[in-house]
Amino acid sequence: MYYVELLLVGLIWGCTYAMMALGLTLVYGLLRILHVAQATVFTLGAYIGLLAANHTGSLAAAFVTGALAAGALGPLIYRLVYQPILDRPPFVALVASIGVLVAMEDGFRLLFGPYGLSFENNVWFTTTYSFAGMTVNLVQVWMVVAAVLLLSAFAVFATRTRAGVAWRATVSDPAMAESFGISVTGVRYVNFLIASVLAGVAGVLVGLLNNLVEPGMGGVIAYKGLAIIVLGGLGSVPGTLAASLVLGVVESYGTVFLDKLLDRDAIAFLFLIVVLMIRPHGLLGAR
Amino acid sequence: MLELRGFGCGYGLVQAVEGLDLVVRGGEITALLGPNGAGKTSTIMAIAGHVETHAGTIEFLGEDITRLAPAERTRRGIALAPEGRRIFPDLTVAENLLVGGYTHAAAEAARAEESVLTLFPRLRERLRQHAGSLSGGEQQMLAIGRALMARPKLLMVDELSLGLMPAMVDLCFKALLELKRQGIGVLLVEQNTKRALAAADRVVVLVSGRTAYAADGEQARRDPDMVESFLGLKEMT
Repeated sequence: MYYVELLLVGLIWGCTYAMMALGLTLVYGLLRILHVAQATVFTLGAYIGLLAANHTGSLAAAFVTGALAAGALGPLIYRLVYQPILDRPPFVALVASIGVLVAMEDGFRLLFGPYGLSFENNVWFTTTYSFAGMTVNLVQVWMVVAAVLLLSAFAVFATRTRAGVAWRATVSDPAMAESFGISVTGVRYVNFLIASVLAGVAGVLVGLLNNLVEPGMGGVIAYKGLAIIVLGGLGSVPGTLAASLVLGVVESYGTVFLDKLLDRDAIAFLFLIVVLMIRPHGLLGAR
Repeated sequence: MLELRGFGCGYGLVQAVEGLDLVVRGGEITALLGPNGAGKTSTIMAIAGHVETHAGTIEFLGEDITRLAPAERTRRGIALAPEGRRIFPDLTVAENLLVGGYTHAAAEAARAEESVLTLFPRLRERLRQHAGSLSGGEQQMLAIGRALMARPKLLMVDELSLGLMPAMVDLCFKALLELKRQGIGVLLVEQNTKRALAAADRVVVLVSGRTAYAADGEQARRDPDMVESFLGLKEMT
């Protein structure tokens, strides 16, 4: 039973990784930029969600405001940082992205203090459910529900709407897509909006689960997100989702069996190295 | 319908085509022939707005479109089935067509799709299939169909028959003749000279970016050896 519970906990984390990593894959797929600054979008979502929850006591308010704030910041980063340097080699954008992350981290420190904030009354963390000998809290339940809902909504958008089809066409061949009258700039904004809302919701959830929101909380998960999108075969949405769940589970078992050697966060990168040695194009990579 | 005068185009400082005069009329097929690297694709891509025009003018329906953005040219009625077809492989056939008709309202796009599927019944059978899984001939039909979704007045096709089985080439040429009958002007780049000459109303042969031969279809069919001799130039130089 213990091992089943580890599997469950791993999948729960995997869902959260998926929300974070999907955005990185979307940005990479469209612009070939490694969007490290996604971490700052995640952290802003967590802060705003925490402020809203402490102010109103409502989880819904935390999700909505966190998502809105994140959804505003991501497209803004695109407009102010990436768009002016799109014709430069991708590593220029990567360096700029790291710059945004570092600057924003200090911004959070100045604005909200260096030690982080906690939820005043985190009833969602203390509300637990037991079934089949396992116990999960409400935050963990929401991690799964939010991931399933948002990722399903994304799938519907991508395959069932005109805008979604236009977005996929643009990812595949921007010049051709634009010649048919699709606004490539519009597609980029939508892309950052989707990526950022997912990251913002993930930020709120991770803040709740740790009962702590601090300036550097995005760093580790963003670097893990980069490991995930490489594992998934850069630019592949199904690969990203699979790699997120697999990494969650590997970490979950790893913390038990390798805890004398490595901490949880090192496992992600050890796993990345091992997988890339065996499958250089990622878990589901084609070539 | 389309008229290039003293047209020159290229990439940066590299001049691909110089001093080209070319006309396409509605309901006619103009064949642009020439050896590899002569500048045929550059010309077509410049008319579509993807390659920079350095000299001369491109006039379409009496208006100068030399400086317009690609999407604006599509809106005015210029459609392109480009070299290598460049369909969206991860999208289904239906989705590729949707993108082709993106500038039109749903009702108009539905009518355009119906006429494309009438022209290429094979695509109707493959609507839910990923475009990347189609055969070469079907992909070419899709590239032409996607271009037609914009309800163009001028259709440009780059290398219609390249890599296709003869039966598929027949189908595609039949479709072009049908479009011509509907009054659409066609600009065709083609390496299969015999096929192109048989269908063309006008023929222009480009060699190293310059016009080596220009005639109406009738005359070009009378001296096919002349046309062929220009196409052979590449091997001699």
